[in-house]
Amino acid sequence: MSVAEKFRSISPAEFFYRNKEIAGFANPARALYQSVRELVENALDATDAHGIFPDIAISIERDQNKAYVYRITVKDNGIGIPENYIPDAFGRVLFSSKYVLRQTRGLFGLGAKMVVLYGQITVGEPAEIVSATINSKKIYKYKIMIDIKENKPIVLERSWWQNKTGWHGTMVKVAVEGDWSKARQKVLEYIKRTAIVSPYANIVFRSPDGEIKIYQRVANMLPPPPREAKPHPHGVDLEMLKAMISETKAQTLIEFLSDEFQGVGRVLAERFVSTYGFDPNINPKDLSKDDLEKLVRALKEFNEFRKPRADHLSPIGSELIKIGLNTILKPEFTDAITRKPVVYEGHSMVVEVGIAYGGAIEPLEEPMLLRFANKIPLLYDEKSDVAWKVISENIDWSYYDIVFPAPIAILVHVCGTKIPYKGVGKESIAEVPVLEHEIEEGVRYVARSLKLYLAKKQKEEEMARKAITLIKYIPEIARALTTFAKANPEPIKAEVLESKLFDLVKNRFRDSLKNISSPRDVVLSLE
Amino acid sequence: MSEEHVKKFMSSVDIKARIRAAEKFSEVFDNVVKAVLGGEEPKLVIPKRTLSNTIYDKERGLLLLGPATFERSFLDVKEARKFMQTLLMAKIIYDALINNEYPTIRDLFYRGKHSIRYRDHKGRIEEENTWDEQKESDAVLRDIEVLVNLLREEMLILSKEKGKVVGDMRIRSGDDVIDLSKMGHGAYAIEPTPDLIEFIDVNAEFVLVVEKDAVFQQLHRAGFWRKYKAILVTSAGQPDRATRRFVRRLNEELKLPIYILTDADPYGWYIYSVFRIGSITLSYESERLATPKAKFLGVSMTDIFGDKNKKPYLSDAERRNFIIKAKKTDIKRAQELLNYEWFKTEKWTKEINIFLQKQSKLEIEALTGKGLHFLMDTYIPTKIHTQDFIE
Repeated sequence: MSVAEKFRSISPAEFFYRNKEIAGFANPARALYQSVRELVENALDATDAHGIFPDIAISIERDQNKAYVYRITVKDNGIGIPENYIPDAFGRVLFSSKYVLRQTRGLFGLGAKMVVLYGQITVGEPAEIVSATINSKKIYKYKIMIDIKENKPIVLERSWWQNKTGWHGTMVKVAVEGDWSKARQKVLEYIKRTAIVSPYANIVFRSPDGEIKIYQRVANMLPPPPREAKPHPHGVDLEMLKAMISETKAQTLIEFLSDEFQGVGRVLAERFVSTYGFDPNINPKDLSKDDLEKLVRALKEFNEFRKPRADHLSPIGSELIKIGLNTILKPEFTDAITRKPVVYEGHSMVVEVGIAYGGAIEPLEEPMLLRFANKIPLLYDEKSDVAWKVISENIDWSYYDIVFPAPIAILVHVCGTKIPYKGVGKESIAEVPVLEHEIEEGVRYVARSLKLYLAKKQKEEEMARKAITLIKYIPEIARALTTFAKANPEPIKAEVLESKLFDLVKNRFRDSLKNISSPRDVVLSLE
Repeated sequence: MSEEHVKKFMSSVDIKARIRAAEKFSEVFDNVVKAVLGGEEPKLVIPKRTLSNTIYDKERGLLLLGPATFERSFLDVKEARKFMQTLLMAKIIYDALINNEYPTIRDLFYRGKHSIRYRDHKGRIEEENTWDEQKESDAVLRDIEVLVNLLREEMLILSKEKGKVVGDMRIRSGDDVIDLSKMGHGAYAIEPTPDLIEFIDVNAEFVLVVEKDAVFQQLHRAGFWRKYKAILVTSAGQPDRATRRFVRRLNEELKLPIYILTDADPYGWYIYSVFRIGSITLSYESERLATPKAKFLGVSMTDIFGDKNKKPYLSDAERRNFIIKAKKTDIKRAQELLNYEWFKTEKWTKEINIFLQKQSKLEIEALTGKGLHFLMDTYIPTKIHTQDFIE
């Protein structure tokens, strides 16, 4: 290095302070949307992942005096945050308790801090957090700011009071600079789509304009909570391996492999070690840098490990997807499928696809696409997403008897511990072949199901149309027949003939006449 | 109208006809009522009125309805509307019969025409007319004629009078006696129910049926029927049923020979064949309406162009002046005629082929252009006298 450079490190907080667009805080509109999103996702993670039916209240208030200042409050009924963790959980960027592999909405535990940090930078007020864990006798309240240089929380106020009602959960209130008029559409859409994939939640939203949106719980089941899982050998890199070794209690390589990884049992570990010529009894902490590199390569290469497990994932499930689509979009038809887990770079992924057709859905020139990653709605960069490619390029909709404009919504949910996002914004998913294939198969499945439904409906409509063709003439025919029925011993009433004729039609078109019990339901008086 | 009034003001023949027709209706449609009450699918078995079910009976020289029938079922989606229309029409006719009314086919159309308001399979409210045009109600009426085996005249249904007649004869129509030689410059309009006419006395040797009303008037004023002891009839174009039935009765009951005078073109020839053999659409009536012994007097192609045995009635110059170039539709029609069984005779084949070869036609008026007296005193008498006609 010939030119003298000045080197210094910056804290993670400072890094994000300087690069806030990476975390989605590029402008006031986007920042307002992103803030809501981060807090809502934390709220949901604190509830459904722990078997609690979420009650989420979101409100955004406009500051009476300062333009562009909004106070966002998000309150949940989740597990709460242990009192001693509250300052770090909101005041230290990249604070994390331990390395855990399981599906949550927020990946880095970064979101809430970014909101606090952004609020602090733009408005300068401390964030207010109220929380109580389950069975906590006390409710704690903190006012926190972040020391950016040092990346640590500044506690401005700490108080508590008796928890008389047994409440648990967390309430976060942050003042941020935002632009509601520009963010409105996205925020509303975000909450609506969140409601679609969490029909088991009560969500209430109050906007700065005073409008209140209520999404009532309509499902009485939760997706299975994700379990923590160990890393799969195919999914580790050198840094991760080092981190795992530094934390493990294993004394030998064999122990390390069979204890810390999924898909590896003792027998497999021994076979692996002998295949690649490692010393089975070496303490992993004693492995050299070369050994470590060799180990990472071997772990990726060895193809006898069992496939990654998927029980650390929490797919929504086809039943809940259908309920969500039905409740929010009010279509006439829905279907959904949860695909079997697949593996991408050592991480398992599950793709879910739902479809909603007709009813209150507006006919559009292209399918309405509802994208989700780990239950988070993705609203930006739709056209660069792999799901968009699938529905707009890979699928020939005419094959499924769909002619656009058509009232179709397609829901694509990708869940996994490592989702191949296209950019740091995490708003679109890359065209990874295995994922593209999964989405395509899912869309084809639900499209086939729709096709069958439409064909059945068309047939039923055709039958109903035919039945009506006959029924509409019944009163006329009955009236004419009474003229000739005069000669019979007793006069025959037109009503008798009508009901006899209707019985004949009913016998032929039984299934299509559900809503019709007499010709008078069809034929109307002319007045 | 009370029974008494009916007897007082209406002719007795009409009353008898009504009772007979109403009984037939009851008979046929009571079966439909019984089927419905018994939970069976109501069906009407109707003889087919199509060309394929029209049979030319060579022996009798008549077009007759064949044995083919079809079922008009209420439960058949394609037939349901027609089924409804048929019953509606039957009801209207029956009501008219027992109420002593005389509907025309236009009346029947109006009496039955109304809207059916209904909710379709998608819940939309729609309206549909029982029938939209008279064409529809007329077709249903024809179905009923073959279904109950009664002609509309027998159901006391009237139609616009078209045919006219003059001559030295007396008839009874209703309860009146009419002298057909005392019609002034007018003529007797042949009533729509010619079967109810009674011939009282007739002084004539033949019947001349003229296609064209204008020619009929010229001949009438010039005293043709007096001079030649003829009954003069016009169909004023395509003959209606009453005129055909009247002509048939003149031939059948009074044994008068019938000569038919039409334009020299395929339409004129078809009019002749309707008189003689019957029509395809109304083949079910031929047995009563056609006159198999009617003779085609002219104007024939050989009358215009002559042949090796015959001098034409027109000179070269007249022919040039009077003939009209045939249109494409005339040619097409002539080719159709060639395919009809009853035109496949030596004389007609010759006529039609001359037409196709010359591609020329001629109207009867052209002969009066040569002078009315030529038509009256030369052409017609000569043709009859020399038996220069087609049988």
